[in-house]
Amino acid sequence: MAKKGWDEFEIGAMLRTFDGKIDNIAATQQEDRAYSQNSSYTASVADWRLIKPVFNKDYCIDCQFCWIYCPDVSIISRDKKLVGVDMDHCKGCGICVEVCPTNPKSLLMFPEQADEESVIANWPKKDEEEA
Amino acid sequence: MAFDKMELKDIEVWDGNYAAAQAMRQAQVDVVAAYPITPSTPIVEGYAKFLADGYIEGEFVMVESEHAAMSACIGAAAAGGRVATATSSQGLALMSETLYQASGMRLPIVLNLVNRALASPLNVNGDHSDMYMIRDSGWIQFDAFCPQEAYDLNLIAFKVSEDHDIRLPAIVNQDGFMTSHTAQGVKTLSDDAAYGFVGEYKPMNDMLDFEHPVTHGVQTEEDWHFEHKARQHNDLMTKVMPKIQTVFKDFEKLTGRKYTPVEKYDMDDADVCVVCLGTSVETAREVATEMRAKGIKAGVIGLRVIRPFPFFEIAEALKNVKAIAALDRSSPNGAAGMLFNEIAGALFNTGTKALLSGFVYGLGGRDLTKAHLVALFNELQANADAGKVTTKLQQFIGVRGPKLAFL
Amino acid sequence: MSEMKNIKNLKEFSTSADRFEGANLLCPGCAHSIIVREVLNATNDDLVLSASTGCLEVCTAVYPYTSWDASWIHIGFENGSTAVAGAETMYKALKKKGRLKQPERTPKFVSFAGDGASYDIGFQWISGCMERGHNIMHIVLDNEVYANTGGQRSSSTPIGSSATTSPEGKKSYGEKINKKDMMTIMAAHGIPYAAQVSPNKWKDMVKKIQHGFAVEGPVFINAVSPCTTEWKFDPKDTMHIADLATDSLVFPLYEIINGQELNITYRPKNVVPVEEYLAAQGRFKHLFKDEYKYLIKEWQDRVDEKWAYLQRREEARV
Repeated sequence: MAKKGWDEFEIGAMLRTFDGKIDNIAATQQEDRAYSQNSSYTASVADWRLIKPVFNKDYCIDCQFCWIYCPDVSIISRDKKLVGVDMDHCKGCGICVEVCPTNPKSLLMFPEQADEESVIANWPKKDEEEA
Repeated sequence: MAFDKMELKDIEVWDGNYAAAQAMRQAQVDVVAAYPITPSTPIVEGYAKFLADGYIEGEFVMVESEHAAMSACIGAAAAGGRVATATSSQGLALMSETLYQASGMRLPIVLNLVNRALASPLNVNGDHSDMYMIRDSGWIQFDAFCPQEAYDLNLIAFKVSEDHDIRLPAIVNQDGFMTSHTAQGVKTLSDDAAYGFVGEYKPMNDMLDFEHPVTHGVQTEEDWHFEHKARQHNDLMTKVMPKIQTVFKDFEKLTGRKYTPVEKYDMDDADVCVVCLGTSVETAREVATEMRAKGIKAGVIGLRVIRPFPFFEIAEALKNVKAIAALDRSSPNGAAGMLFNEIAGALFNTGTKALLSGFVYGLGGRDLTKAHLVALFNELQANADAGKVTTKLQQFIGVRGPKLAFL
Repeated sequence: MSEMKNIKNLKEFSTSADRFEGANLLCPGCAHSIIVREVLNATNDDLVLSASTGCLEVCTAVYPYTSWDASWIHIGFENGSTAVAGAETMYKALKKKGRLKQPERTPKFVSFAGDGASYDIGFQWISGCMERGHNIMHIVLDNEVYANTGGQRSSSTPIGSSATTSPEGKKSYGEKINKKDMMTIMAAHGIPYAAQVSPNKWKDMVKKIQHGFAVEGPVFINAVSPCTTEWKFDPKDTMHIADLATDSLVFPLYEIINGQELNITYRPKNVVPVEEYLAAQGRFKHLFKDEYKYLIKEWQDRVDEKWAYLQRREEARV
């Protein structure tokens, strides 16, 4: 966000999360909200990441462990289904992979530069030892 | 509205504390969070009793410290309603952290500060150490010299503080015991007239507006902090004084009682003058009149508004004076004194030839007597006659032992 | 009273619309935000929030960004509880006076603070709020250290932990004083509800938070918040550490109703030795030197004693 001059912002360093009115927020998903430029929703921490989670929906059982334990609101679940990872807000901690119960896991960490299509194509097979 | 109005006589006999409590009742303060401390306690006790008797509809929270009192006031003000409290001395010292937070968040809160000395040694009586301590905290500061003014300035303070162009908290000072516990005749407004003057509270950036969530009390570092502080200072320097002037005028229209940021007494042709605060203003006025009978053209300036400091107004008021005494009722502890410094600053780039001397007096409630002021005016006249300050620049008045003077 | 959000299972819970945002500045793998999400998502009601100075506060409201979708206030280190209590008091006043903008809403007032801001500097403020009966919930994000200022000991720091002001060294095993029992102290205020929670046990957490929201009066919640930075473990292991904390009974999950009715809410099927919990964290690494191994035994004894004590209280209904 551009750095404003002393006369260009609200008094008291007060911030508004939304532009205009928000009604029934608890029933309004993020994509349907009018976030203001002051909400960190509009910011990105993608550059914090050295490794990234890749989601392979073929193995996902929609258990939602990754959703509940994601510290960064980056696991996007809608209608009880895992939709994907919010790569603007994911910091690459890897918790989602650790808590994923499937075999093979439905989420795995890869270097930030890794190509998603090729890592999914080469997804590890079921770990028989663990099974 | 589920509360009873109170029938007041045109003139009631009230002390400063009760006058402030009555003003808080008439302003229909929504939340008072407070912690007792002498000599301010009766103000919040007054509000509690009005609440208990059904003369007000609001909430009173007796918290566990002054720091918590102002913390709760800040939370309540941010939630969106009229908030007031009272404290003194050590209580103010404890809440001082939160005073900066209240003003930085631009939350209107009225604080009745019943001035009292700061320990150590412990002392419950009136001096201005507490007022001076937080003078740079970003609050608007009014000063009442008597119970009537404590009443009037409370009503005025809400109106200034809550204005959406201002949104800065305000302190109403009164002298501990000398004003707070001294009953005098106070001209009252009816409940309707007083509330009509203060007006309904108009929320702004209120946390309880669930359709417009707000974040209060953010962190700003070197990339933003200066701009926010500059904004606050700008508003104090440019917006507050005009607003105070307007509200003073409105109040005069309603009551006939006229207030000005710099209260001048016999200043039109004064050769010598005293600048002071609180009850000392009234004593100095009496003595000045007596000095005039003796041929000394004496005047008095009392500061009605301490912050924002009436820089140009005071320079204008002092421009033709030959000798000025700045009276500080707080130990400067190694400097010249707040009023001395502020006045010197206001006069420095003007063409004045006035001589300025400073006096430290009345610490811990020590009386400032008429005899002290007679001697002081005589000394000022001697300075004026000699064309120079004939004494040291800083003298102590009323302390036992050999005469104490510095600078 | 508003309707309680129906959360039967995790799938249903996952339909929640989060009111806490990413791109905050908390460390990767920080448990604070996991706890915050579980708490905020436990209700559909409006929220009025506060945070005391600390990691959560300093990472979620750095101008010009806020990560909060509900009204939120921060004043200082010690007074977050009182800030939200002030807002709750204004709510009561305006409700009485008929001046609420949305009078049909039933907001919940929640104060978040770290263990430093709760066990230490804010102790008096929280005690005041609990004693006065404000309808607020104070939640401690208990990471047992002043993490925001770089790892100094707090009165929540456990014995043997190496903190920057109680470091392990050639002649010291680190912190010498046992963790303060904040739960019992807060429950002793006679408040309607006090509970210890852990983010790994989300269902237990949600149940307790919902109970806390449902009761009238002050609620105290102590949430263990494994700190990747100061406890010294890999960010991916946050939930694993939380599992060890609850399953070793270092952090037993229980509740105290009205200051006197204690219920244990989680009994691990397989209790993990405390040694495993300690071994997983760098802050206890030095305890595995020969000369300090006795401390691990003492740790286990303390945990066993506490567990026995909790069970005795539960049985005796006190």
